[in-house]
Amino acid sequence: MNEKQKKRSTGDSESERLKRPRPVKAFLDRLAARNLAHRTTTLSNGATIVRPFSWSLTNSLIILVIFLFFWDMIVGAYFDKYDFMIFVRRIPNFLNILQKMWTEFDWSYFDFVVDPMVDTIQMALLGTAIGAVFSLPVAFLASANIVKSKIVSGVVKTILSFVRTFPTLVYAAILAFIFGYGTLIGVLATAIFTFGILTKMLFEVIETLDLSSFVAIEATGASKGKAFITSVIPQIMGSFLSFTLYSIEINIRSSAILGYVGAGGVGIMLDENMNWRRYGNIGVILVVLFVSVLIIENISRYLRKKLS
Amino acid sequence: MIQFSHVSKIYPNGTVALKDVTLEIQQGEFVAIIGLSGAGKSTLIKLINKMTDVTEGSLIVNKSDVRRLQGAELRRFRRRIGIVFQSFNLINRTSVINNVLAARVADMNFFSTLLGLYSRDDKLLALESLDNVGILEKAYSRADQLSGGQQQRVALARTLAQKPSIILADEPVASLDPITANQIMKDFKRINVDHNITVIANMHHVDMALKYANRVIGINKGEIVFDGPSSQVNEDLLKKIYGREITDEDIMFKKTLGE
Repeated sequence: MNEKQKKRSTGDSESERLKRPRPVKAFLDRLAARNLAHRTTTLSNGATIVRPFSWSLTNSLIILVIFLFFWDMIVGAYFDKYDFMIFVRRIPNFLNILQKMWTEFDWSYFDFVVDPMVDTIQMALLGTAIGAVFSLPVAFLASANIVKSKIVSGVVKTILSFVRTFPTLVYAAILAFIFGYGTLIGVLATAIFTFGILTKMLFEVIETLDLSSFVAIEATGASKGKAFITSVIPQIMGSFLSFTLYSIEINIRSSAILGYVGAGGVGIMLDENMNWRRYGNIGVILVVLFVSVLIIENISRYLRKKLS
Repeated sequence: MIQFSHVSKIYPNGTVALKDVTLEIQQGEFVAIIGLSGAGKSTLIKLINKMTDVTEGSLIVNKSDVRRLQGAELRRFRRRIGIVFQSFNLINRTSVINNVLAARVADMNFFSTLLGLYSRDDKLLALESLDNVGILEKAYSRADQLSGGQQQRVALARTLAQKPSIILADEPVASLDPITANQIMKDFKRINVDHNITVIANMHHVDMALKYANRVIGINKGEIVFDGPSSQVNEDLLKKIYGREITDEDIMFKKTLGE
């Protein structure tokens, strides 16, 4: 019995597999042949040229399918569960709060807002500065055209994308858990976030740079690090300063909310007043925040324009 | 002194750039390497300061075995060898003097480099190098505001600031107009004579090579087909080096060769 089975199975695999019709393969072969014919151009003198196969159309189709799949899964499911009408029905609540901010608005609260606002701005500025200082040497390590080892730049890039996974708020929450509350964790969280985005922007600039001068300095016997300082840094300085200023804009906005997780600054006051339903005070804080952000953004934009 | 013995260079993709090259260059010579594009001229130059590695044979430069050099030893070795490129390779967004000073960072410590603290001697040396090639007044201009000829002079000054014993030049005048090219070649010649610095230059234009170099090396398909004083070079030899008749394209000043 067993032997019989064995025999049959071996017979199967040896001869019959070759004979068995293979419709899928035949179909793919036909498709490939048609595609090849489609890509071939014959000139009037009989010369032929084959355009190389391009994945771009296929890739777009795949992306479209994935997109439709997720659209249905996430967006569809969300609207099933969430009653969109709740949003519409509650708009009056929002207007009510806005109205209270206006009617209960009290400038005398301004004195209490100034110090935390200064803290917030300091947090953003210091954090940006620390992040920026560390971003330069790490961008050097991440640039594949400078550090020739693909392993080094690959590992650094992977770590960097991990760093960029979390927003400032998450870092502040984690740091608050470790170090306790205070402005310091706001600075650290901002620094980590800035470091992540700045490094990425920098190595992307470096990787598109013309490195001929770098090669020349290296040929004088200077190490890669020294050649980087003398030839790459002057070339990326403009982008670096511009990116740093842009980070300050982002960080001012995000550091306003850091107080919610205990990082100090104006966020704590927002949280407190929200809990006590003191909408007038919130109005004052928002005005101060708005004006500060506006001023800093304009200074930054002006400086960036001067740089370029 | 530079000694090639049976040197071959095969690139990873299988291209044989140089085949069994044996030659000796004494200190203070002015050597021009001529040949068609792709003949192996650039490779020959790049082997000397190890911008690319020798595949077979031995190469001794200034008593160092180039194949064995690496790390700090290689960097120390490179300090005495200057190189001038066809496209100048200057740092564009900075001043001329900083470009020349960049040649000094190899000798400086890391923190001085980081802070750009050049010593008084280095600054003086940089300015003297600029003066040597006649563009001292441009020292504080931005490098990318200069003309092509001036930029190549800055590159030459940068090389001089290295206090080299050998200057390699990879098509130093190929992207310049004939008049400027002539002036740059004169600078090379003067430096060669005044400081007894060996100059090895790849030349695209035959007439320029013959005019300035004492010795000409002709390369055809990776092999040396001529090596001798420039006075010995004649039309037949050029035909052998180029594998064809010399055309106007190979000559910068069209009349020079007939004279």
